[in-house]
Amino acid sequence: MDFSLLSDAMASKSYHKIASICDDLMLQVATQGIAFHDEWPYPIHLLGHLYVDDINSARFLWKSIPSSIKETSPELVAVWKIGQQLWMRNYAGVHEAIRGFNWSQEVCDLVASFSDHYTKKMFDLLLSAYSTISIQDTALFLGMNEDDATNYVLQQGWTVDPDSRMLTVKKQPVVKEQKIDPNKLQRLTEYVFHLEH
Amino acid sequence: MNQNTNHVESLVFQTKRLSGTTPEDLNCLHSLLKQSEEILRSESTRFASSLADLDPSKHSLGYLYILEACTAGTISKELANELVLSVARFINECDAEQIRLAPEKFISLCKRFKDQVMQLESPMRGVAPLLTAIRKVQSSPEQLTTLHPDFLLLCLLAKCYKTGLCILEDDVFEVDQPKDFFLYCYYGGMICIGQKRYRKALELLHNVVTAPMSSMNAIAVEAYKKYILVSLIHLGQFSTSFPKYTSSVAQRGLKNFSQPYIDLMNCYGNGKISELEAFVEENRDKFEHDHNLGLVKQVVSSMYKRNIQRLTQTYLTLSLQDIANTVQLNSPKEAELHVLQMIQDGEIYATINQKDGMVRFLEDPEQYKTCEMIERIDSSIQKIMTLSKKLTAIDEHISCDPQYLGKAGRERQRLEFDDFDSVPQKFNM
Repeated sequence: MDFSLLSDAMASKSYHKIASICDDLMLQVATQGIAFHDEWPYPIHLLGHLYVDDINSARFLWKSIPSSIKETSPELVAVWKIGQQLWMRNYAGVHEAIRGFNWSQEVCDLVASFSDHYTKKMFDLLLSAYSTISIQDTALFLGMNEDDATNYVLQQGWTVDPDSRMLTVKKQPVVKEQKIDPNKLQRLTEYVFHLEH
Repeated sequence: MNQNTNHVESLVFQTKRLSGTTPEDLNCLHSLLKQSEEILRSESTRFASSLADLDPSKHSLGYLYILEACTAGTISKELANELVLSVARFINECDAEQIRLAPEKFISLCKRFKDQVMQLESPMRGVAPLLTAIRKVQSSPEQLTTLHPDFLLLCLLAKCYKTGLCILEDDVFEVDQPKDFFLYCYYGGMICIGQKRYRKALELLHNVVTAPMSSMNAIAVEAYKKYILVSLIHLGQFSTSFPKYTSSVAQRGLKNFSQPYIDLMNCYGNGKISELEAFVEENRDKFEHDHNLGLVKQVVSSMYKRNIQRLTQTYLTLSLQDIANTVQLNSPKEAELHVLQMIQDGEIYATINQKDGMVRFLEDPEQYKTCEMIERIDSSIQKIMTLSKKLTAIDEHISCDPQYLGKAGRERQRLEFDDFDSVPQKFNM
């Protein structure tokens, strides 16, 4: 089994590529009739799916892993615990699952990167879904203690009301590219012209 | 005996001599191979050992005939492993042009290969080779081959759902066998359901239900059941009336085979979660028997969403407590989590105000003027234009077809005859 592509991706921290690298490699190895289960880097493969928010593929991968492997790899079970919390949308549970295991050298950076990524995603979710939210809930969503969470959001321009312990969300205007290529505009004009005549 | 040995040697020799030079040579080799099918079968063991002499990438056509003949009989379990490996290697290395001269041989080889990996209980071994095989044997991505459903089946069994998606993105315009199309859409629908791509799943299942059929088939029945469920999950409703182009067999028969699902749909329409849960519990065995219980459970939980979505049409702001009461959730906190999930999935536009315990429903912020949106509109128009051109071409092709004209002409005559008849013939029984 040639894992060089995977180790390159891990070394260069191109974590979003891991899932498809592992998927392809697994199909190749299976085609060659190699018994790969015992040596397969399942925790990394599973995390790779979670990293790109592909919880469905993560679930199918978990289902396809032989139970003997699941029983002997506590790290794999720990990764799947993160997956389960994501699946059930237990937002705070994801952070707990990340903190609740002593990750090995190999996956440690990947887990840390996933954790950052997930915290950012949660922040964006709070930003889009709330106008006011309690400090306590914010801390749970972001997986921090209350002080850190307050500091984190204050830096983003949120304000805090110390009496009610509520945070007021500062919406950030989303800037999207609106400049249109003249050719595109020309084409759309032609469509409309065609339809009207 | 001796003569046969000679024959084997000469055929291998000819394969080497005539492969890959000119099209004429290949055609010549092809007819030689066709004439030798009998000896290929009877001397298959001898031929098998000669395979080592041939290069699958250069002598693909000859290699294909020999390999196909070798796999024809029953295969012992010990040999199966070896065989699967050599067929996989051949599929990977063979020359597409050459094997397309004998597509039926290639397909028969691939089908046996699929059967073998299933018998070995390692469907994953066949996933990558079958995908390669499809790409090599099809003349364009628009052609549905009989290997498509086999590939999707292996993907399902090996739980490689994501890999299965890649061929579902191609638009299919050419179909040889109706059964291939039914199975392709059914398995494809299951893959999309697994990946929660409900829109695509609906499209595929819709194709099964409305495809022309002269008699009822099990694939259509199972597809119809899933179609109802996915439609409820994704759209929150289902209409039992069929589009006009649906076959009369399907229109008459499908509902009778899917009664619990029709009942489920009616129950869903009432919008009462407790009634729906009770109904599901009562009919649990039936859904479980169909392997649809998981989807049915998703139908139940989608009802909360549906009811919340309905609220957004009436109210601008609503308290979390009121939401919980109206949609039968236990607490304001639960209501908050449901609303949050829906915001996350882009199913509603709203902001939650925890301080006051209120939710404010908003309009869709899309203003249809970003580059991304224009790009999408443009590409959709392009796609529809291509499709329309294709339809016109097919229409023209059919209206020039003598067989069609002959039939259509006769039908018209009969119709005119009917028109003059005061009593329609079907009542004259």
